[in-house]
Amino acid sequence: MRKQSAKYSPFIPVLTIYVLIFLIGKGVSGMWQVMAMLTFYCALGQAFNIFLGMTGYVDFGYVAFMGVGTYGMALTITHLAERGITGPAVIVLGMLLALLFPTLLSMAVGAVALRLRGAYFAIATIGVNEGFRYLIEGAKIWNGSEGIIFMSELNRVLGREAASSLSTFWSDVFLFVIATLAALVTLYFMRTRIGYALTALREDEDAAKVMGINVTKYKIMAFITSACFAGLVGAASWALKTPYVFPPEVFEIHYTIEAIIIVLLGGAGTLLGPVIGGLIYGLSKYYLSIFLPGFQLLIFAPIIIIIIVAFPEGIMGMVKEKAKGSSLARFIV
Amino acid sequence: MSLLRLENVTKRFGGLVAVDRVSLTINEGERVGIVGPNGSGKTTLFNLINGVYIPDEGRVIFNGQDITRLPPYKRAPLGVGRTFQIPRPFASATVRENVAVGAMFGTMGGQLSVDQCLDMADRYIKLMGLEAHSEKPAGSLTPVEKKLMEIARALAMKPRLLLMDEAMAGMHPKDIDKMVQLIKDVSDKENIAVVAMVEHIMRAVVGLVERVVVLHQGSKLVDSATKEALEDPKVVEVYLGHPPEE
Repeated sequence: MRKQSAKYSPFIPVLTIYVLIFLIGKGVSGMWQVMAMLTFYCALGQAFNIFLGMTGYVDFGYVAFMGVGTYGMALTITHLAERGITGPAVIVLGMLLALLFPTLLSMAVGAVALRLRGAYFAIATIGVNEGFRYLIEGAKIWNGSEGIIFMSELNRVLGREAASSLSTFWSDVFLFVIATLAALVTLYFMRTRIGYALTALREDEDAAKVMGINVTKYKIMAFITSACFAGLVGAASWALKTPYVFPPEVFEIHYTIEAIIIVLLGGAGTLLGPVIGGLIYGLSKYYLSIFLPGFQLLIFAPIIIIIIVAFPEGIMGMVKEKAKGSSLARFIV
Repeated sequence: MSLLRLENVTKRFGGLVAVDRVSLTINEGERVGIVGPNGSGKTTLFNLINGVYIPDEGRVIFNGQDITRLPPYKRAPLGVGRTFQIPRPFASATVRENVAVGAMFGTMGGQLSVDQCLDMADRYIKLMGLEAHSEKPAGSLTPVEKKLMEIARALAMKPRLLLMDEAMAGMHPKDIDKMVQLIKDVSDKENIAVVAMVEHIMRAVVGLVERVVVLHQGSKLVDSATKEALEDPKVVEVYLGHPPEE
């Protein structure tokens, strides 16, 4: 029998990278915001990978889960501040609502859209994101298109000083935690029958059914888990960092595209892939915008095309293949 | 005792009656061949047994339970295992992972840990002689190896009924003989009923099965012991056309 702990050794490189990013951010002056941005992309990729990477379904409406997560936090803070409830517990409640909203939305979307396959699913999910945004704006839900600005409420809840350190430091620390948790959950899935079921249905859904796998159950499980992490990322990096939320910003399909690029670049369905993808994407976006402002997309697009063509399984997919049989293999999944 | 009973099962696709009022009983541990030319309804019959299709009429009884409307994923844990005519491996997963999936979601699924399933996978991989390929992605196997892997995957489900869809097509005659012996042994040892669908390879039919059901245009033409069935003039006619006039 293999030792239980050895099964989790692939977590070591992921954790090492996150700790390194954190230490660089903390230790090198002026690097905190850059490292926070990298963590945002890693967390986004890690969260999206649970669905896109493990099931092979492309969800173009993914950002909607970040959006409702952001709203969950914003609504909690504004409503509790109005009622005079203060303290860090408000943030914890906000996080819970940032989990609840994406859970409900993903259950509703999943019940309908996960009956569709391949391109049909992808198209349906674009509709979900845009539809949800216009619903909020048109029906004037949650303040409609005016959005919610809750700077003063946040100050009232935590006090001015704590609120400021929350937006400049602690919100990013939350992101580190979320990214790490998402990686742990991914690895847990991989090591249990959930991961085997997801791999099977990704490769051949009908054959998976015949082998006894309740594919709908596992797809929805991955969908909800992935959506929950998206909600947390939205709550931490958008609501807490910049205490306002506007529908056109949090339902911006651009973030979904970034998430897809990160996952495919790093290696869909691998554990380390979203981290590597997030680092490469984040770093090149940042430095291209400094050295060649305005040209970043023009340069970045062909780089992505080249990488995708050269390593169709993503960078970690290629590394995994190369590492097979070597002593490194047990750290890479 | 009867393990599987089809009662007047009919399946239509638009105006075409693919399976026409077929009744059939498979006993526990029995090995039966389903024979018939292309388009005779064999694959549809398989899909009705494992739940890919729901019949328009009739009932499917498995182990005393009416499973007529049960989805495939609920039939597998009851003990219905299957291989496909064109192999359907989970291509990016290794052979070992593929076979382990069988163990995880088959009849023993609930009781085994992932490690136990992987150990079970190793046993069946060895039985099929695929040890050397255990860590390869299943998609990289040759067609015959994929078929062997599918049999291992289906056996790891610990099924009570194994549906084999042209499992030996494309194999060398010598390998077929070996395969036949192997499946016979497993079926005897683990009391697995085998229903083998065969279009051409009569060698497999004669060696493996005790009884043959011949399908023709969706209905049952003959259901008897192997030797009689294959010598039946109706069967000869279906396969070879009318005997020449004297």
